[in-house]
Amino acid sequence: MPLIPLRLTIPLRPWLAPLRWLTAHHWLRAADVDACLRFLQPAWALTRIHARVEARRWVAEDMLAIRLRPNCNWPGAQAGQHVQLFIERDGVRLSRSYSLTAQADGCIEIAVRRQPEGRVSAWLCEHLSIGDCVELGAPYGELRWPQEGAVLLAAAGSGITPLLGLLRDALGRGFSAPVRLLHFVREQGQRAFVEELQQLQARYPNLAVEWAVTAGAAGQRLNAEQLHAWREAHVLSCGPAGFVEQLRELVDGQAASLQVESFTPPQWRAEGERRPVRLQFFRSQREAVGDNQVSLLEQAEAAGLKPEHGCRQGICTQCTCQLLEGAVRDLRSGEISHEPGQSIRICVSAPLGDVRVDL
Amino acid sequence: MREDRELSREEIDAFGAELDALRERTLADLGEADARYIRRVRAVVRACCWSGRLLLLAGWFPPTWLLGTLLLGLGKIIENMELGHNVMHGQYDWMNDPELAGRTYEWDIAGPSDFWRHTHNHIHHTYTNVLGMDDDIGYGVVRLFPEQRWKPFYRWQPLWVTLQALLFQYAVAIQHLRLDKVFKGRISREEVRPLLRQFNAKVGRQWVKDYLVFPLLALALGCNALAVLTGNIVANLIRNLWTFTVIFCGHFTEKAAVFAPSTLEHETRGHWYLRQLKGSSNLQGSRLLHFMTGNLSHQIEHHLYPDVPARRYAAMAREVREIAARYGQTYNTGTMSGQFATVLQRIWRYRLPQAV
Ligand code: FES
Repeated sequence: MPLIPLRLTIPLRPWLAPLRWLTAHHWLRAADVDACLRFLQPAWALTRIHARVEARRWVAEDMLAIRLRPNCNWPGAQAGQHVQLFIERDGVRLSRSYSLTAQADGCIEIAVRRQPEGRVSAWLCEHLSIGDCVELGAPYGELRWPQEGAVLLAAAGSGITPLLGLLRDALGRGFSAPVRLLHFVREQGQRAFVEELQQLQARYPNLAVEWAVTAGAAGQRLNAEQLHAWREAHVLSCGPAGFVEQLRELVDGQAASLQVESFTPPQWRAEGERRPVRLQFFRSQREAVGDNQVSLLEQAEAAGLKPEHGCRQGICTQCTCQLLEGAVRDLRSGEISHEPGQSIRICVSAPLGDVRVDL
Repeated sequence: MREDRELSREEIDAFGAELDALRERTLADLGEADARYIRRVRAVVRACCWSGRLLLLAGWFPPTWLLGTLLLGLGKIIENMELGHNVMHGQYDWMNDPELAGRTYEWDIAGPSDFWRHTHNHIHHTYTNVLGMDDDIGYGVVRLFPEQRWKPFYRWQPLWVTLQALLFQYAVAIQHLRLDKVFKGRISREEVRPLLRQFNAKVGRQWVKDYLVFPLLALALGCNALAVLTGNIVANLIRNLWTFTVIFCGHFTEKAAVFAPSTLEHETRGHWYLRQLKGSSNLQGSRLLHFMTGNLSHQIEHHLYPDVPARRYAAMAREVREIAARYGQTYNTGTMSGQFATVLQRIWRYRLPQAV
């Protein structure tokens, strides 16, 4: 039994302001303070967002919905946003991004689709249990529900999750214009949140939900006919890049508005021949075209940045920075890193594909 | 003195490749156990420091005062060496844990960790024992090798060294300010000003914490503030002396070699490894000794692999030693007292200009 209930951290938050000031000015170490807070309540922290698992249930054959109660540092989120979720495996902190499917009563719900090779999703689906704590990032994401007019939601695979979050929120607020949700899944069993959606449909006559199974001979594909009557609606779409692109082509220029979000599993090819890659330097807000053979340090310098560095040979760690997206190869050992948020030494790391680094 | 076989270019490459392979093998094996270890070390540091400070509140009563001071000193030693030094080398960066990230960790010592990351991680580890480049050779006040040009004030170096040992945390902190160059006018005052500000802020924080806040806290609680203050001073002193001893044993023993700046030209990875091996010296002893030195008793392994978690050095040392033997290289190791005695000899001998 924790000494302090998680809910109580919210009213207590202002009282910790002096401690936050002291850690921000280096008089105290946040890690030490957090250790004490954690002793009182496992999900408590000075500024970091931790959350306790309150419930878990399967909403499709391969999708798990997890209800989380975040601590006092959760800033609140808009429907349709995503959060980064952190867990530790074999001593390494890993993170993945998941969409919020619901929010109520100080809790949030995310849905995790088990990826066959996924280190994080497989662990979450199999091992995360009620009462465990996980860390979250701040919510992010730009999808917004339209003010008025008919709305078409087109999702593929786990792209359903942010759209469901938006849908629940909008209907709950009394949105009354027609809404149609189209969910493409590979197999029948992958239809997610079927019960909830059917209940919503029964309750809100303006909602129509359709599923399309794409596998097999009778598989349905996204086509112009399906969209015909809805071309002039507000369109929101989420799914793999290919799907989203296709949808964009079908409705472009006609839809009242179009918002898309796509996710594509990271793709890169090992070493091989010289190839151009896109480099995004997050902190300095710059972009450049580079290649996959030269160290990121040299390429950043070529792009006019002046990253901190020392030895330029991987010894001193002064050039360490965070890899935000993409994969890099260690030029000394050939080892590949692709964890978002991982520390890399840019003097000995070459990009393997498009990358975003915190420079 | 050292007896090393001259290696051909091919041999040096092969030597480097073997050491690289050992590095890869070890890195591939990192995981849960290493993460648990470093967090435990941190827990031990907290337990030592907090219990030490608590005991000091009991005033001058000898058993509690002595124990409190010792625990606090111990906590600081472990924090500085096994935790801070190693974390700041990026040894645990693979964990992605922001609390143990090498580039942001701030340690409990006078010198700002940013300074240390530059003077130590970069300058000292890249240019280990290269004359004129590695300022850790005597820290500018001690002549330890005949190759260093003699200056009159070296005559009194046993005295300087004693002072340095007592104030070691400041000696380390000040290094980055390059005051010698400022006085000689080779660095402008403008350039050091921001550094000086950073330096003052950190030293100020340390003083306020150790010498003001805790004594005042004692006062507020009706305890003996003077006992607390003295306890803090002595604890810092113990840490200074211990870290000084360990660090001087690392590179200035009898069999440690220094290098001319020309060695850096066209230096390959193999050459770099070789220089690290020749310039460093190990200490033999119990596991407790290794722990208390932050595994800098495995100085050779630390210099070959500064970013590999230090708890792995003991196992790596066996292989490194075997590799060194095969390539006919002296593996400089000895007991702490033996190694330190040779350091003292150097300090005594090279105070005079004609000593060679
Ligand atoms: S510059 Fe020294 S590790 Fe990259």
